[in-house]
Amino acid sequence: MSAQAPLVNIRNLVKHFGSVAAVDDVSLQVGEGEFLTFLGSSGSGKTTTLFIVAGFEDPTAGDVEIDGRSVLSVKPNERNIGMVFQRYTLFPHMTVAQNVGFPLMVRRRSKAEIDKAVKEMLDLVQLGAYAGRKPSELSGGQQQRVALARALVYKPRILLMDEPLAALDKRLREDIQQEIRRIHRELGVTILYVTHDQEEALRMSDRIAVFSHGKIAQIGSGADLYERPADAFVAGFIGNSNFLQGSVVQSQQDQVAVRLDDGTVIRGNTRHPLAANARVRLMIRPERLALAPSNDQVDQSLDVTLSDTTYLGDMLQHEVVTAWQQRITVRTNDRAAASSAGNALKLHFASTDVMVFEDGNRATA
Amino acid sequence: MFEAISNNPYRNLRAPRVGLRRLRPALPALIFLFVFMVVPLSSLLLLSVTKPETGLGNYISLLGDATYARVLLNTFIIAALVTLVTLVIAYPVAWLLAILPSRVSQIFFAIILLSMWTNLLARTYGWMVLLQRTGVINRALMGVGLIDQPLPLINNLAGVTIGMTYIMLPYVILPLHATISGIDPAIMQAAAITGAKPRQIFWHVMLPLSLPGIGAGCMMVFVMALGYYVTPALLGGTSNMMLAEMIAQQVQSLLNWGLGSAAAFILLAVTLVFYAIYVRAIGLGRVR
Ligand SMILES: Nc1ncnc2c1ncn2[C@@H]1O[C@H](COP(=O)(O)OP(=O)(O)OP(=O)(O)O)[C@@H](O)[C@H]1O
Ligand SMILES: [Mg+2]
Repeated sequence: MSAQAPLVNIRNLVKHFGSVAAVDDVSLQVGEGEFLTFLGSSGSGKTTTLFIVAGFEDPTAGDVEIDGRSVLSVKPNERNIGMVFQRYTLFPHMTVAQNVGFPLMVRRRSKAEIDKAVKEMLDLVQLGAYAGRKPSELSGGQQQRVALARALVYKPRILLMDEPLAALDKRLREDIQQEIRRIHRELGVTILYVTHDQEEALRMSDRIAVFSHGKIAQIGSGADLYERPADAFVAGFIGNSNFLQGSVVQSQQDQVAVRLDDGTVIRGNTRHPLAANARVRLMIRPERLALAPSNDQVDQSLDVTLSDTTYLGDMLQHEVVTAWQQRITVRTNDRAAASSAGNALKLHFASTDVMVFEDGNRATA
Repeated sequence: MFEAISNNPYRNLRAPRVGLRRLRPALPALIFLFVFMVVPLSSLLLLSVTKPETGLGNYISLLGDATYARVLLNTFIIAALVTLVTLVIAYPVAWLLAILPSRVSQIFFAIILLSMWTNLLARTYGWMVLLQRTGVINRALMGVGLIDQPLPLINNLAGVTIGMTYIMLPYVILPLHATISGIDPAIMQAAAITGAKPRQIFWHVMLPLSLPGIGAGCMMVFVMALGYYVTPALLGGTSNMMLAEMIAQQVQSLLNWGLGSAAAFILLAVTLVFYAIYVRAIGLGRVR
């Protein structure tokens, strides 16, 4: 991932459908053995990017290199890439074993070799007992595991997965997520994974590329995106977040002081220098807010009124409102701090947990 | 639960009265079936075993006499040939219609339907004009210098096959198109990315998945072709007479009602056998 050349190199990729720019100048590198996830809302260009890598779509501009060579002129069936689709794409007229054996059958391998590989793969996805079934006799989760086995049986170096679990319920999804993680570790295959579920992305990936309107808003590890989001969009997309409006009082390198609407001044961090008086948005994670000061890093506070408390089992979630009626969510496991609705409280937090972004949608908005 | 069911006050009103009363809503349909199917078929059957004399004489001579047996065989060969040629032409057309943008394919469908709604006799005469010795096709081919003798395209097997194939095409194109457009393109993409070449995708994925459409279309064409009359009569030769022509000849020219009826019955029986085989193979649920 670091010094060595990337396995997949996507360079300035652009794809237009008529006047729509589905992919708008996307560049990224994927290291050998890496698990990289495309995360983004519907229509942000994730599938289109993946399909260009697979060879199902031709880019309007830009290049896709695998192992340093452009693959744009290589047909999908010659790219030696595995893929699992969002929809169920098993061959309905073939048994599970025939489905998994298909890639080897079209490569004209011997029957003995196919049988052995199919058995290995079905064991890998824990469906050994289902070899003789037809896809219609399998659950959705089982079908996607067979599809995974079919995509891996010919040992591709790159595996593309386009929301393979989107149609499954939460429990099943988490089971198969673990299975995919395990298989990724065992086989060392490079995975490009698409999802619009941020939890799934955080749980599985080495790195995440956040897509927005055909562009990559930010690419980095889950911790990078969560702790150091590049902009308000990424901050809002990954994890839960509270946003407050304000204007810059003073900015010094990455330190910035912001005046809120009621005059309170709060200090926070910024990735880009900000001009004085610029309209900005402050972001604080709900779990970084406390109702009582916990340690001496917690140097900021804000007067609020409690409006509601929800018991979440492992946590308490408080809804509070500021003097100018802005709602803020607080998550804490400090049960002692509980109080009744209408009470005046002080929110405590550290300036290092306050992220300040330029306000994308200008002052009047 | 049990209690609730046995206490149901309506329970006694149900089960016992299955009898004829239940069929009452179907009565018009039953009468229709009786008048238009059972009666004529029974009288046909009756004719075939009573005229000119009682017994199975008509069936014996039909199956035993070389001339008649030839006509029977001929009928099957032509029906099979027409079915095959129709399928080979219809498949790529149906495929094309499935992948063309719908604005374009709509136009093709309109043309196909229009041809189906045009009078059969008119279309067959049209082919006569095109196919005869001095017809458009022969003159065009000779004009370009490809041939110097007119090709025998009419009053023979070629003529029947061309004319019937043309008429049958929509009956295969339409069900095939329905089946092919129902195949998820992602399945084809999945096959491609695993390394299958286009040819392998066709033989191993696309063709097996279009079998229901192929079956439905071929069944329809084969059965229709077995009983075809006008086109073989006008475009075929005497040496490849089909069963329907023979029936007409027996009844109209020779007034041999018995033999004609027996031939019609054999045709019906064979058709039913093919239908049964088809239903067995594909399953009744898939028959449209
Ligand atoms: N074949 C196509 N023709 C026209 N527009 C397309 C086509 N494929 C995608 N688009 C458009 O390109 C944009 C990006 O689509 P894409 O499928 O890549 O999004 P996505 O991020 O995968 O979304 P989702 O999460 O809903 O799958 C969308 O606006 C979509 O409408
Ligand atoms: Mg998508």
